[in-house]
Amino acid sequence: MNRIRESMENIRASEELKQHTLEYLKHKRHRARAKRIRGYVLAAACLCLCIFTDGYILYARPTSYISIDVNPSVELGINRFGRVVEAEAYNEEGKTLLEQAALKHKPYLKAIGRLLEEESGSGYLTEDARVFITVISDKWETILEEIRADELSGKYGAQTYTSNLACRQEAHSQEMSFGKYRAYLELSRYDESLTVEACHGMSMGELEDRIETCRRHQDGTKEGEEHQRRERKKLRGGHEGHGKHHGHGH
Amino acid sequence: MVNRRSREEKVLRSEEDLNRAMEAYADMVRRICFLHLKNKFDTEDVFQNVYMKYLLYEKGFDSAEHERAWFARVAINACTDHLRLLSRRKWVPLDVIEEESRILDDTSSEVLEAVLSLPEKYRNVIYLYYYEEYPAVEIARILGRKENTVYSWLSRARELLRERIGGEWA
Repeated sequence: MNRIRESMENIRASEELKQHTLEYLKHKRHRARAKRIRGYVLAAACLCLCIFTDGYILYARPTSYISIDVNPSVELGINRFGRVVEAEAYNEEGKTLLEQAALKHKPYLKAIGRLLEEESGSGYLTEDARVFITVISDKWETILEEIRADELSGKYGAQTYTSNLACRQEAHSQEMSFGKYRAYLELSRYDESLTVEACHGMSMGELEDRIETCRRHQDGTKEGEEHQRRERKKLRGGHEGHGKHHGHGH
Repeated sequence: MVNRRSREEKVLRSEEDLNRAMEAYADMVRRICFLHLKNKFDTEDVFQNVYMKYLLYEKGFDSAEHERAWFARVAINACTDHLRLLSRRKWVPLDVIEEESRILDDTSSEVLEAVLSLPEKYRNVIYLYYYEEYPAVEIARILGRKENTVYSWLSRARELLRERIGGEWA
């Protein structure tokens, strides 16, 4: 054996050093495992949070809007599952109604029914009052069909219309529900002097009465003109086809 | 989940593996520490550090020899790193200075002291060549140097030892 080897033979790792090291590694291993478990738990918690948040966002985001206007004006935001996730009032009566009727998370037909019942109970739905339901949705046909088929909407003779998001935005800038704003737009076609401020003071029944009056007046004028034209042609001995148009709310 | 678990087992070596490696290489690691470090606190630090690296080492070993060479290389590097760290330290506790020299007995002290007085790189080649009996080519691999460099270091180290303790030490 060479002397170098011989001189180092006695240098050995003590049992104490080995045991200390093994204990240290055991401790490190437990810490690493605990850290990893904490990591998994944290990751799972984040995942749950993401799923919950995404799910909630999906649930809470309205995809359709329904404006219910009598005198109280109320707008409902409906999510993709057909439930009410937003309810906004656009006049004092509407605010009072929303305080009384809990509409959130209800299916929209039930919410509309509940709102109409509440309006009836509060005395807004008198015999000459009229109910206007305006819808903004990609699935407006389905929604309108369901509203028309609904017993309560039928009972109160609700008239249905559709609108769009641009009109809704304009309506809100005028602090008006988009249902009432649609009626204002229609009436302003007949009466250019009409202002939004003037509409604020009118009930939906009044607005619709004026629209009908204007429509009848215009139809009457048209029919009168048509009658005179036909008479003139008869005198000349000519003949012309006859067409009939039905105006309809859009 | 199964993949993660198998990865986890791969990352952290089993307790049995550690116990076996402790029995097999503890003395070698201790000797390498002795060649470079001056007190038991530093030795314990480096010793634990080497086994910690083993605990976290993901790759396998082809043979026991491969594993042994890995321990030698990691221990030498850990000592070098530790000394580099110590050189940045401005003070050394008085009670631990030169503590390691106390374990030398009279008969072996002359040779050992001569080895310890060699520059670091010569200490490594002398230990690996004369104690571990590695061939120069393997020492070159462990130290990450060319074989010719190892030969020239060995030659220079022998020369220095001859100057200090005469010709009869190997």
